[in-house]
Amino acid sequence: MDEFLKEMADILDEESVNESDRLEDFAAWDSLAILSVISMADSRYNAIFSAQDIKGAATLRDLHELLSKGAGAAGAG
Amino acid sequence: MNLVFGQRRIEGLLAVLPSNERRFIDEMEQFDFPIERSIKLKEMMGYDKHRIVDGPVCVSDLAVHGFEHLFAAGTLRKDDIDALVLVTQSPDYFMPPTSSVIQGRLGLKHDMFCMDINQGCAGFLIGLIQAFMLLDQPAIRKVVLVNADVLSRKVSSRDRNSYPLIGDAASITVVGRADDAMPIHANLKMDGTRRDALIIPAGGFREPSGPATCIREADAEGNLRSRDDLVMNGSAVFNFVQVEVPPMIAALLETAQVDKDAVDAFVFHQPNRFMLQKLADKMKIPYAKMPSNIVEHFGNSSGVTIPLALAFNLRDRILGGTLTTVLGGFGVGLTWSSMLLRLGPLDFCDMIEYP
Repeated sequence: MDEFLKEMADILDEESVNESDRLEDFAAWDSLAILSVISMADSRYNAIFSAQDIKGAATLRDLHELLSKGAGAAGAG
Repeated sequence: MNLVFGQRRIEGLLAVLPSNERRFIDEMEQFDFPIERSIKLKEMMGYDKHRIVDGPVCVSDLAVHGFEHLFAAGTLRKDDIDALVLVTQSPDYFMPPTSSVIQGRLGLKHDMFCMDINQGCAGFLIGLIQAFMLLDQPAIRKVVLVNADVLSRKVSSRDRNSYPLIGDAASITVVGRADDAMPIHANLKMDGTRRDALIIPAGGFREPSGPATCIREADAEGNLRSRDDLVMNGSAVFNFVQVEVPPMIAALLETAQVDKDAVDAFVFHQPNRFMLQKLADKMKIPYAKMPSNIVEHFGNSSGVTIPLALAFNLRDRILGGTLTTVLGGFGVGLTWSSMLLRLGPLDFCDMIEYP
C-alpha cells in the first residue's frame, strides 16, 4: 500500500496522499492521471483496466483494491 | 495471419515534411486545461514540435513534391514505375482515387496499376505487403508505395487529446525484386469490432457533413471537437497496443526463427514516446534499439512514421550497410502488423521539406 500511495502521489502531483482521499478532489485527477494509473496497473500488476474501470474507484483505497485484484478483474479497454 | 515473401527488397525511401513547424509550448493556451497539467503531458508523452500543413495542402501535393525531387535527382525514373500504391486516410477526393490524381499530375505511363488503400498507423506495413504481392506479376518490376496524410486538417485545434501529437507528412518507398534476398516474414491481425477507437464520425455516407456536424462541443475532459473531427479513445488505444503488440512481435520472431538479440532495430509506428518506451520495457528491448523520437520532432503522421523514423534515426546505417529490422504498425481499424526484414544498403534515404 505504501508504495502504491507513493506512486499515486507522484501521479497526482502531491507531496503525499492518504488512502481515504477521494480521487475527484484532486485537481490533477484527469485523463492523463488515469492513463498513468492504467500504465502502472499494466507494469506493476500485469493487469489491463479501461479508463471506465479506473473512474469507478472513488477513493485511493478503492483504486488500490481494484488494481490488486489484478488481471481479469475488469474488462479490457 | 502469417505471411512470407521471397525476393523482395526496399530500394530506397524519401520522407516529405511540411516546412511549417508548430511548438506545443505555443499551443498550450488553446486547450481548456491548466497549464501545469499540459506541461506534465508534454514531459510524459514527449510532445515538443510537430509539422503540420499550412493551409489547404493535400496528400497529392506532398506526394507530387516528393516524386519531382526523386525524378530531378535521377534516383527514380518515371517509366520504371509499374504500380503506385497510396495509403492514406485523407484523400484529395472520395472519387477519383488520389493515386490516379498523383499519376495524372506526374504524367506517368498508362501501363501501370494505381490503387488507394484506406489505412492509418499500420499503413506502412499494409502498403509493403500489398507492394510485395503486386511484385508476383512478372509485368510489375517496381512498385512505389506512397504513405501520406494531412490529418491535422481533421483534428480540432482545441482537442488536447490529439492535436499536440498530430503531424502531416508523406513518404515514398520504392520496392522491387532482388534475387538473393532473404525471406521476409510478416504477420497481420485486424479487429473491426474496435473500429470506434479511432474515428472521424462524420463526413462519409454514414453521417454526411452538414451544419450540425461542424459544431464543436466539449467532451467530459474539456476537449472541444465536432463530429467532423478525428476522435481517439486514448486509453483504449494504449491498452490495445500494450496487449496486442508484444505477442505479435514474439510470434513473428518465433516463426522466422530469429533471436530477439539478433535484431538490430525495432522500428515501430510512433504514437508518442510514452507508449513506445512502455512497449520497449514490456518486451525487454533496449531503448537504443527502438527509436521513439518522431513525435517530439515531427508529430505522428500515421503511416509515415516508420519510414520517417528510419530516415531520421538510421539513415547512415541503412544507406551504407544492412540492418536486421523489425517493423511494427498498429492503429485504426483496429489493425496491427509486423515484419522482419533485412534493410539496406538502400539506393537513397532522405528527408525533404514541402514546399
